[in-house]
Amino acid sequence: MLSSIKHYTSVTWEYLKLSILTVFEYPANMIGWLISNPLQFIVGFATIQFVVKEFGDISGWNYGQLAFLYGLAIISHALSMIFFVQGWFMGFFVIEGDFDRYMLRPMNVLYQFCFTHFNLIGITDLIPGICVFVYGCIQVGFVFNLRNIVALLAILVGATFIRGGVYIIIGSSTFWTKSVADFGGYTQEFFDKTTMYPLSMYPESVQFILTFVIPIGWVSFYPAAELMGLSKDAFMPGVAPLISLGAGAAVFAVAAVIFYMGLKRYESAGS
Amino acid sequence: MNSIAAYFYVYKIRIQKSLAYHYDVYGNILMQCIIMFAAAFFWRALYAGETVVQGVEAEQMYIYTVISTAMSVFFMNDVEQRVMRSVEKGTIAVEMLKPINLYGIFFFEDLGKLTALLFQNLIPILLIGSIFIAVPKPASAMAFLLFIVSLIMAYLIHWLLAACFSMWAFVTINMTPLLQVKKHLIRLLSGSIIPLWFFPDWLASVLNCLPFVYIYQLPLDIYIGKASMENLILRLGIQAVWVVVLLVLFVVLQKIAVKKVMVQGG
Repeated sequence: MLSSIKHYTSVTWEYLKLSILTVFEYPANMIGWLISNPLQFIVGFATIQFVVKEFGDISGWNYGQLAFLYGLAIISHALSMIFFVQGWFMGFFVIEGDFDRYMLRPMNVLYQFCFTHFNLIGITDLIPGICVFVYGCIQVGFVFNLRNIVALLAILVGATFIRGGVYIIIGSSTFWTKSVADFGGYTQEFFDKTTMYPLSMYPESVQFILTFVIPIGWVSFYPAAELMGLSKDAFMPGVAPLISLGAGAAVFAVAAVIFYMGLKRYESAGS
Repeated sequence: MNSIAAYFYVYKIRIQKSLAYHYDVYGNILMQCIIMFAAAFFWRALYAGETVVQGVEAEQMYIYTVISTAMSVFFMNDVEQRVMRSVEKGTIAVEMLKPINLYGIFFFEDLGKLTALLFQNLIPILLIGSIFIAVPKPASAMAFLLFIVSLIMAYLIHWLLAACFSMWAFVTINMTPLLQVKKHLIRLLSGSIIPLWFFPDWLASVLNCLPFVYIYQLPLDIYIGKASMENLILRLGIQAVWVVVLLVLFVVLQKIAVKKVMVQGG
């Protein structure tokens, strides 16, 4: 058991080194994204301020609280981009027969799929995430004590796995459809709209689905409400960060089951 | 005369291609609907305690959202991707040898795609928006006519901007991040999501000097009847000037870019 964990982490470490080398091979690419991604989120967030200034708040959340929520959402988005972005492109893996390679190796296939690719360009999303989040923390007077830091870590790990699990579930559909579809655009659009704004602005039926069926509410909304003490929107107060972590584990477990069901239908490339 | 027949042929082929690859269409509708519904609920939450803000009612904001989403169908051009792929593969040289203008081909391809999208995306989006959000009634019949005029010019401005941008592909290898920057700036600073009347005055006056606001904001203002007729006519004039300016810029850049490619080819 111990030796296999050691083996898995050593493989991951080697791939991580390769990813870093790739970034240095094409520095211009990284620099391009370094401008593009922060710009997208920071300008996006700035324009929300114009509206909030006019109306006062969105669904009872003021600008500082919105910054906290928005920042937290971008950070977990960035982490999911680093570790799980390949879920968006699973169609290409299926059509081009890339799973052949993984299945021949004496390692868990899902593990290889998730942890032998590192999209370090995702780091360019972390920067605006941290900026907006820190701004939000200052605005709402968030205290970085041990309890809050542990809670934040639990939320971020849970949120990253919820996102990653959803990407893999959507991506696994290509085992059945055999289509080369890029799910990135609408997956990101959907997550952006549901994690960066208070969930309470949506109708109750949508809130119900995003709380219990596809637990996206636990990516940022409920834990943020709890950490800032917004009792109106807090749900399961006291344990929301733990529920985020649990939801992450649950979504990822479902994703693993669907992934392996799909893998049984995998037929490799045409010839 | 011959070249017109050739362009028409390109146009027809692109429509047929769009109709054949129709599975992209559902993805697009899904994405546009997510954006449309999220925006509608965003405005609903904001207007919860208000009736009129900046001279605009909630109902007008819902119409704004539906029309803005529907308008996005007009701005799904391929010209940048098309040039990028051709330069990468090297087929650009062969395409330039053809006895008709290179960008003429791309323009008619985009028109063909747009024609197919009017049926595949625009109508479904308008239907879904009308049923679930608001029936997008224009402010008046006159407003609707002016909207169409303005929308055509908006299409030209957006296409010419994209064509000018696409010439970067002749000098840089990977311009995907650059295209992302442009896409986000247009989306955020053209009034497509948040109208310019909420922006601080200094920023709004800067943006009024750039072509972006003439892509979404002006046609939308006309549609919901946000400004006086004199103001709208004046802005339509500025919009027309932008079309001409970008057209000149495009012609100049094309001359330079063509030389650049020849150097690389030799």
